[in-house]
Amino acid sequence: MPDYSLNPPLPNRVTLFASCMVDQLAPSVGESAVDVLEHLGVSVEFLDNQTCCGQPAFNSGFRSEALPVGTRFIELFEQVDGPIVVPSGSCAAMVRNYYRDLFRDDPKLLERSSRVAERVFELIEFISRFFGTEAIIGQLNTSATYHKCCHLLREIGIDGEPSAMLSNIEGLEMIPLERADVCCGFGGAFSVKMPDISSAILDEKLDFIEATGSSTVIAADMGCIYQMQGGLRRRGSDVQVLHIAQILAESLRNGSSHGAAL
Amino acid sequence: MKPVTINFRSKAAQTLADAQIQQSIEHVYTGFFKGRLLAAAETDNWEDLRTKGKAIKDHTIAHLDYYLGMLADSVEKNGGRVFFAADAAEARQYIIDLAHKRNIKTVIKSKSMVSEEMGLAEAMNTEGFETVETDLGEYIIQLANETPYHLIAPAVHKSRSDVAKLLDDDYKDGDRIPDATELTMMARKKLRGVFERADMSVTGVNFAVAESGSIALVTNEGNGRMSTTVPRVHVAVMGMEKIIPSIQDLSTMLRILIRSATGQRISTYVTMVNGSRKFDEEEGPEEFHLVIMDNGRQKLLEDPQMRESLNCIRCGACLNACPVYRKVGGHAYGWVYPGPIGAIVSPVMTGVKDASNLPSASSLCGACHDACPVKINIPRMLLELRWRTAEGSTDKDERTSSAKERGIWKAWRVGMMGRKRFDIGSRLANLAMRPLAKNGWLKKAPPPISGWTSTRDFPTISARSLKSKLSKRSKGGK
Amino acid sequence: MADRAKFLAAVTASLGRTVVLVPNPDSATAGFDDGVLAKSNAEMAMADANTRSRELVDQMADAAATAGWKVHRACNPETASDLVASICEEKKASSVLRSKHEVLDQIGIESAVTSTGATLGITEHFGDNSSALVDNSKSSAFSADIGITGVDYAIAETGTIVLHPRSGLSRLISLAPPTHIAVLRHGEVLDSLDELFAMERSDFMSGKLAGSMNLISGPSKTADIEGTTVTGIHGPLEVHLIILDHG
Repeated sequence: MPDYSLNPPLPNRVTLFASCMVDQLAPSVGESAVDVLEHLGVSVEFLDNQTCCGQPAFNSGFRSEALPVGTRFIELFEQVDGPIVVPSGSCAAMVRNYYRDLFRDDPKLLERSSRVAERVFELIEFISRFFGTEAIIGQLNTSATYHKCCHLLREIGIDGEPSAMLSNIEGLEMIPLERADVCCGFGGAFSVKMPDISSAILDEKLDFIEATGSSTVIAADMGCIYQMQGGLRRRGSDVQVLHIAQILAESLRNGSSHGAAL
Repeated sequence: MKPVTINFRSKAAQTLADAQIQQSIEHVYTGFFKGRLLAAAETDNWEDLRTKGKAIKDHTIAHLDYYLGMLADSVEKNGGRVFFAADAAEARQYIIDLAHKRNIKTVIKSKSMVSEEMGLAEAMNTEGFETVETDLGEYIIQLANETPYHLIAPAVHKSRSDVAKLLDDDYKDGDRIPDATELTMMARKKLRGVFERADMSVTGVNFAVAESGSIALVTNEGNGRMSTTVPRVHVAVMGMEKIIPSIQDLSTMLRILIRSATGQRISTYVTMVNGSRKFDEEEGPEEFHLVIMDNGRQKLLEDPQMRESLNCIRCGACLNACPVYRKVGGHAYGWVYPGPIGAIVSPVMTGVKDASNLPSASSLCGACHDACPVKINIPRMLLELRWRTAEGSTDKDERTSSAKERGIWKAWRVGMMGRKRFDIGSRLANLAMRPLAKNGWLKKAPPPISGWTSTRDFPTISARSLKSKLSKRSKGGK
Repeated sequence: MADRAKFLAAVTASLGRTVVLVPNPDSATAGFDDGVLAKSNAEMAMADANTRSRELVDQMADAAATAGWKVHRACNPETASDLVASICEEKKASSVLRSKHEVLDQIGIESAVTSTGATLGITEHFGDNSSALVDNSKSSAFSADIGITGVDYAIAETGTIVLHPRSGLSRLISLAPPTHIAVLRHGEVLDSLDELFAMERSDFMSGKLAGSMNLISGPSKTADIEGTTVTGIHGPLEVHLIILDHG
């Protein structure tokens, strides 16, 4: 895990890597991410031609299909410098931790991908690393519980930071989720290939969520969010599952003061 | 044990529907998983120990030929005998022949997963030797004629009334269910006489120490001690990877094994056997045999991507951490080793063709990697096996992906290789979904994602992409 | 029968080599520490056990209690003797077996046990190895009510006593009877598993390794039925640790 000290000079410009799911399924999450970053004084560039990092095919074993998509990702993002921020732990993990397997037969591509990978940050990781967990102060009246998405937790190493950030939102009642670090059962294609097992794991997660009595679940990866929201809806539940970027952005819209960012 | 990994889906479905087993399996989380976390928290240098343990295993496996040779020499110097078995059948035959030669009547078995690979107890009973499993969990499943459900707690899926039926011939449904203490005392009584009359024991090996020819056994019950004290012939069976270089390494390995397995600081008993009894000792077996088995481990060793799986010290922590194992249980995995470790070793040891479901039965959550005392990167190996099964294997029979699946990913790739088609495809999908959706969600999705909507609503693709929204924004719109 | 040479050659080939590569000394394992280092590690362990004996005994008492031992502190041998007698009475013992450890003579084990009406059997001196004798003693160990031993070492980290085989059936008498009493003296407690295995390794390097070693940390137990912990499955249900404190 990288050494997080607030020593580096604060970035004022990043490139947004949306992730295919945010881009085409949940663009409002992408907009929220932009809002939050701009609030911190960071300008956000969007590379129009981006599509996907290749993770879905890679995870299903079809590396030959993931390879050209991953290569295209590298070709695109190596054209910009500075941090690349993505509102998804699993996509950040793909680039940082798994491109070395995807490109293992091509030393040049491997080298190029590690140049890019060392500039890739997941959104919460980026904010807490460079600006600290006190940087966003906002307002939002609701009760919520936080689910720890697996890749963000175990591949990127972001654990207590989201809760620390959410604690600075006035009016937000955070209720601890039992077994918050246990998987929701999404796992990409696993959720459709083995739906019975995926749903059994989800059921346990949703039981714990409902036991908190919160009206909202906050998480940081769209796959997990859809898995949980889809399941809650099927149960007839009103509980909303939202991306942490949306929560942070809304809390800023409701009323904020500038954070401790220097 | 014959692999039935091909039945993974149906056995998993059976277990998912079994409310009693679902409740029983909870114990691996509330007991073992939580126990490990507590033990790790109270151990100041836990992470250092994991790093050390990994280093010891990495070093040993990288020089496995050297250390196996050293181990065999040391055992023989102690007066023991070593048998190198290429496979389960050879190992089994050696033990059976030995039992015949020594006029053995009663064999007691202490817990050993390697002996499960051999189907040893069943084979020996068939040969006419009274062969009894003495670990309580193994004894229960022997009576039930089943295979182990978990590496550490073989009968974790059995309820008290299940056990009562097995231990007490007179017990019937509707009788008062005896508590765990009563059932345990019943088993103690039944096995007592067997211990006294046993003339041969077969135990596993938690660690074999190369420099001294010692084997270490970790138990809580006392059957391991009985097995290494009472009978005149002691046979220890081990997978060829269960070896460490030095006696001093035991302090690290025992700490990480036991705390990861059950959360105990140490198991009730740790027995170190340095061969058979010395000339001036009066107690203990007269003969010590060490059976070192391959049975497919070569295939893991020669495979640079899979070799790390041989570092496994069989603690079960990955099982306890795995959300999939905790739902589908041990039998679904269809061979000796369940859970995440089983998902990576079974396909290679027994053949990927039938076991291709195992690496796919994972959400890649990484909890197993986190939990492993020697930091085995299981997710990476799951992904490696998925690649081989999908397209990567040089053996055509091992590439079990369907033409349909290959077609889907080809189409996906085409769709991702250009922004225009990515956008157009998405907008078309949105148009197709809209009439079927309610409040932006579908109750029934078309193949290939129809599996999703059997239990969950599915979101519609957005009418506009983020690209479109951001470009409008920068032009001053919203 | 699988040939050793053939088996090992296959392993070498799996490692991508044609001959066995002798490993270079690697700090990963203690296997490269020589006999001199092993001896000095053992000496340090023993020295530590002596200089910190009071502290280590206290830690041992705590850890042993956590591990499920019934721990008793005896400030003198008479108290220890009384404790043994009261345990025999409580268990209504009729047959008790002891090992040959000298600490048991120090506390007057003979009179302690026989004063309660129980018989005290001592496992035989070494020298007579006829199997008839061994079998006889096996069944007496299985029918005894209490087994009493000293210890070779104890481990404060884990609440463990360590027994090496002695003459006779020291192994079985701490395993088969439903109650086991172990008597511990100051100076016998090592800090942790590191020190124990340092001692063992030093013994090995000087050719003195015993045929076996048993670490015992509480009563026999299992949680194989519904995850409920039950004591006394195959080994003792109750284990007592009598700590003989200095005056």
